[in-house]
Amino acid sequence: MSPGEIAQAIQDLPFFTALRESGLTYPIVLSSHLTTIAVFGGLILMSDLRLLGLALTNIPVSEVLLRTRPWKRVGFVIMVTLGMLLGGSKLFNYYDNPYFLIKMTLIAMVGVHAMVFHRSVYANPARFDGLKTMPGVAKAAGCVSLAIWLGILSMGRWIAYFEFPDTHPH
Amino acid sequence: MLQLNYDPATNPLNNNEWAFPLFECIHIAMFAMSIGTIAIVDFRLLGLAMRRQSPAELMKATSLWTLIGLIVVITTGLVIFTTDPRSYYYNPAFRYKCIALVGAIIYNYTIHRKVILANAGRFVGGLVGGVSLLLWISIVFAGIFYSFV
Repeated sequence: MSPGEIAQAIQDLPFFTALRESGLTYPIVLSSHLTTIAVFGGLILMSDLRLLGLALTNIPVSEVLLRTRPWKRVGFVIMVTLGMLLGGSKLFNYYDNPYFLIKMTLIAMVGVHAMVFHRSVYANPARFDGLKTMPGVAKAAGCVSLAIWLGILSMGRWIAYFEFPDTHPH
Repeated sequence: MLQLNYDPATNPLNNNEWAFPLFECIHIAMFAMSIGTIAIVDFRLLGLAMRRQSPAELMKATSLWTLIGLIVVITTGLVIFTTDPRSYYYNPAFRYKCIALVGAIIYNYTIHRKVILANAGRFVGGLVGGVSLLLWISIVFAGIFYSFV
């Protein structure tokens, strides 16, 4: 099977077909996906700004990172689940859309970034508590995270604007 | 019919491949910042997160970012509105969104703020935080439902 046939087979599953053709469920899932961006994406954004030393400076870094972490994890799972519902129901239109592929790559980069900065930043953020200026490694982690997430958000929006060349079978 | 001395076809956003999605991305990032910072305070009011800080401390730490987010999200929203004012104006989801947004902003800077600064009890605080969350989330929903109603 070619990737296109696999994508077609997945979006043709009764569950995804029902979602795609539903009048109300699809926009509710889409709105919920955006809501998780607002609520939980906001947590990520504020954590990054804290690492950059720009926001929440009166609250220790470890408080901001560790006390919001369970919520970010819950939010991430909900966000990805809703995203899989949206992506699966239109997978044939997305599987070779370059913006979709960049978005998936960037989501993988979130994991890479977490591993790269695990030891120096995320495993023990208390080392930054009480510092007047944030060290370079903390700023680098915040900056990279911010760039990846803004990229994911932008690519997500751009998926809808990609136009395949006329010769394309879509 | 809404009368306008303006032709949306002349709008730069309708004549540039990148401009419209770019404004949408800024709009989304900034509502994540404004609603996200309000949500942190609301979760605290509900007793669910950041319990070592008081709601008032969290509000003070986030208020500047909430305000910046709101200013940019409204500005980009108005720019997006100009690309097709007639269809936005007659769209029920958009009308709800405008009314709810005005209501949510007034609520945020009056009742919400007063209850936080007064250090209200768990019940009143939770109620005010819950209403705030639902109100802001309904505005996000209305923004998406604009394309589906």
